[in-house]
Amino acid sequence: MPEGSLCNKKPVDTAEGVTTLLADKSGKTYYEEMKSLDVDSDLLWKTIQNTCKSRMRTWLEICAHCGMCADSCFLYLANKKDPKQVPAYKIQSTLGEIIKKKGKVDNAFMLHAMEVAWAQCTCCNRCGTYCPHGIDTGIMFGYLRGLLYQQGFTPWEMKIGAGMHRVYNAQMDISSEDYIDTFEWMIEENEDEWPGLAVEVDKKNADIMYTVNAREAKHYPEDLAEAAILFHVAGENWTIPARGWEQSSLAMFAGDWAACKMQVDCVYDAMERLEPKRMVGTECGHAHRATVVEGPYWAGRKSGRPPVESIHYIEWLAEALRTGKLKIDPAKRIKEPVTLQDSCNYVRNHGLKKIAREIISYIVEPGYFIEMCPNKEHNFCCGGGGGFNGIGYFRKQRNVGLKIKRDQIIATGAKLVIAPCHNCWDAIRDLEEEFDIGIKWSFLKPLIVKMLIVPDHLKPKEEDE
Amino acid sequence: MATTEVNGKTFEIDEDGFLLDYNLYCDEWVEYVKSQEGIEELTDEHWQLIKVLQDYYEKNGIAPMVRVLSKLTKFKLKHIYELFPSGPGKGACKMAGLPKPTGCV
Repeated sequence: MPEGSLCNKKPVDTAEGVTTLLADKSGKTYYEEMKSLDVDSDLLWKTIQNTCKSRMRTWLEICAHCGMCADSCFLYLANKKDPKQVPAYKIQSTLGEIIKKKGKVDNAFMLHAMEVAWAQCTCCNRCGTYCPHGIDTGIMFGYLRGLLYQQGFTPWEMKIGAGMHRVYNAQMDISSEDYIDTFEWMIEENEDEWPGLAVEVDKKNADIMYTVNAREAKHYPEDLAEAAILFHVAGENWTIPARGWEQSSLAMFAGDWAACKMQVDCVYDAMERLEPKRMVGTECGHAHRATVVEGPYWAGRKSGRPPVESIHYIEWLAEALRTGKLKIDPAKRIKEPVTLQDSCNYVRNHGLKKIAREIISYIVEPGYFIEMCPNKEHNFCCGGGGGFNGIGYFRKQRNVGLKIKRDQIIATGAKLVIAPCHNCWDAIRDLEEEFDIGIKWSFLKPLIVKMLIVPDHLKPKEEDE
Repeated sequence: MATTEVNGKTFEIDEDGFLLDYNLYCDEWVEYVKSQEGIEELTDEHWQLIKVLQDYYEKNGIAPMVRVLSKLTKFKLKHIYELFPSGPGKGACKMAGLPKPTGCV
C-alpha cells in the first residue's frame, strides 16, 4: 500500500500536521495504516550503508551469545526470563536481521521491530555494563529507532513529539512568548514570599543559562518557580534564553535524527548568542543525554562538547550546598525512610552517582536513607525510559516492566522516593497508580525549597501593625 | 480498546484511562473521574476549569498550558492544584474528557 495519510515516511513539520495527528485519538487510524505501510528496502539499505559504521557492525559481529546480558535487562527479568527478552537476541533479531537481509524486510517484520525497539528496550544501557565485549545494545537500539522512524514505523506519540520539535523547537506546543510569560507568571505568584525574585531573559554573559523540559512550562510550572527560588537564594547571576530553552528531546526517543540536530542546534545557538559561563539543565535525565552527552555529536561538534560547560541540575545543587550558597536547616531534613532513583542517563551513562549521594547527605537525617538494590550505575531503569512512558500503545508491556522498580522500592521499605529525573518521576507515579504500594515521590527542588535556611534579607518584610 | 462502565453507561477509554471519544463526555464521566481523583465535592471552580479546558480543546485540538487556565479563571497555580491534586495535565484533563496530553506528562 502507498503511504497512509497519517502513518507514512514523511516527518511532521507543520502545526496543522501535528494537530491532524493529535486528532486521531490514541493513534487508532495511524496504527491501522501502519499495518499496510510498505518498506522502502532500497532506501533502508542505502541508509545502513551510509550510517552503520564499524563500531556497530563489529558489535553485531563479535557478540558471543554468552547470555551475560540477559539478567542485566529489567524487561527480561520482568517477563519471567523469556529468552526473547535477552538483549543480544533482541538486537540480533531486529537490526542484525535487517543488515543480513540488506534491508529486504517486510511490513510484519518492521511492526515487530517497532515493538522490540520501543517496548522491549528503554535504551538504559545497563546490558552494556555487563557485556564482556562492551557491546552496548542500548546504543544500537537508538540507531534501529532511526531506521524505523525513516520508514514510518514509529509509535504515534513519538511521531507527534518529533513533529513538535520541528515546529516549536520544543516537545510541546509552546512559543517563546508562552515560555517567557509562564516563567514571569511564576515569578509574580511567588514574589510576595520571595521578595526580589526575578528572571532575566536573554541576559548576556550570565554565570548560568538555565534550560528546562517543556513539560514544566506547559503542565508543571511550579518547577520553574522552584528553580528561580533556588537560584535567587543562592545569589546566582542567571538567565533564561528566549529561544533555545528546551533541553529535552522526544526526537531522540523517536529516532528522528534530523530533528535531534535541529533541536540541539537551537540550544547551542542560545549558548553562543548569550555566552553564559555555564548551562545548567533541569532535573531531567534524557534532556541531559540529548543536550550534553549525545547532542554535540548530532551537531557535528568536533570537541564532543556543547559550546559552554553544561551541567546537570544535581551538579549545580551539590555545588551550591557544598559551597554554602544554599544552606539546609537540619531540623527540616527528611526524617522518614527515603530512597533515591538513579537516572540511567546521568548516573550510569554520565557518572554522577557520587554527586547524587552528596546531596542526600545534606537533606536526609543520618540513618533514614536506604539505597535501592542494586543501585548507582547498576540501578535498573525506572521502567519508563526511552519514551516508554509516553507510548499508550505499549502501556500493557510497560506495566509488566514496572514490577522490577516496584519490587526494588518495596524492598527498601522507603515511603518516599527521590527521583531527580522527569521520566523516573513519571514512571514512579505510574507504578504507584498501578500497584498502590503507598509511596510518595518527589524531585529535589520542592524538597530543598522547604528546608532552606533563608537569609534575613531575602525574607518578606513583616507588615507594620 | 478498554471500556469502563459507569452507572449503566459504557465508555471507551485509552490505556491511561482517558476518555476516547470527547463527544461522550457527560455527568456520569465526571462522577467517575471525581471518585478516581479522590475529589469530595465539585465546586463552581472545578466547573470553571473544566469549561476553560473544553473551550480551548474544541478550538485548538490540544490541552492548554496551565498559564492559559490561570489567565482565564484568575486562579493561582496553588489553587488549581487544590482543585485537582493530580495536576491540571492529568486529573483536570481527564475529567474534562480531553485525551491524555502527549509527551513527558
